[in-house]
Amino acid sequence: MALDIAIEQAGGDMAVIALTGELDASNFTTLIEAGRTLHADGTRRIVLDLAGLSFLASSGLVALHSLIRILRGEAPPDPEEGWGAIHSLEFDVSGAGVQNEVILVAPQAAVDRVLERTGLKRLFRVHEDRSAALADA
Amino acid sequence: MIEAVSAAAFDARTIEIEARLDRLAAVRAFVRSSCAELGAADDCVVDLVQAVDEAATNIVTHGYEGQAGPIEVTISSAADGVRVEVRDRAPAFDPTSVGEPDLASTRLRPGGMGIHLIRAATDSMTHDDRPGGGNILTLVRTLGLREEED
Repeated sequence: MALDIAIEQAGGDMAVIALTGELDASNFTTLIEAGRTLHADGTRRIVLDLAGLSFLASSGLVALHSLIRILRGEAPPDPEEGWGAIHSLEFDVSGAGVQNEVILVAPQAAVDRVLERTGLKRLFRVHEDRSAALADA
Repeated sequence: MIEAVSAAAFDARTIEIEARLDRLAAVRAFVRSSCAELGAADDCVVDLVQAVDEAATNIVTHGYEGQAGPIEVTISSAADGVRVEVRDRAPAFDPTSVGEPDLASTRLRPGGMGIHLIRAATDSMTHDDRPGGGNILTLVRTLGLREEED
């Protein structure tokens, strides 16, 4: 199954990205590119709706991390530079707690399991539905 | 394109694909359907789809480094579980030699989680050099629910 990325403006500097399908090593850079485009157009916060996402590979975690970096105006690793750059990237969570740039909505059990098992879930606020996430953003 | 699905035995299924990222979805679909045939619970299917995807991704990106080559995935029944063998002809690499990430660290490394996810999703992961060159990665997981590691 391919990955579909649907983008909606949500007012102000906020946008909603709804992912449908499977996020893997073949397509994770398209999500990073979507983030770059949104940031260039003024978006600083993203509500990421995962209700339609049935699979999240470890490369998808790199995309999630990259979205945060992009929205902060930082340069994420360029996948064109190879996997060495991707493997060396770090996310400092000391003292910062949960970040505010990307809020997650309705991860399916399989996706939630990946976030839990890798420790990355602690980076995100997670809501059951989109309206709750927008109210919290 | 190299691609074949065959039933080598009553309870074994094999798919062979070219080592390309755009073939990962086909591998996942094969794992899903084969595990379901073996009577695996959803929990088991989800875990093995994850583990095989991560293993195949590593073969494409690190093993063959983008060059052409075959990947074979064979699924069969094991005692109270599912056995998956992932074979390639890439340079020898033993993923079991890779250490676990420090998940309690304040410096997360989201780019290095593939092998960790394979371990987390399976009961055992073993590596053998493949006769004639390449690797055989063997993953075993119980059919149903298992106690979470966390």
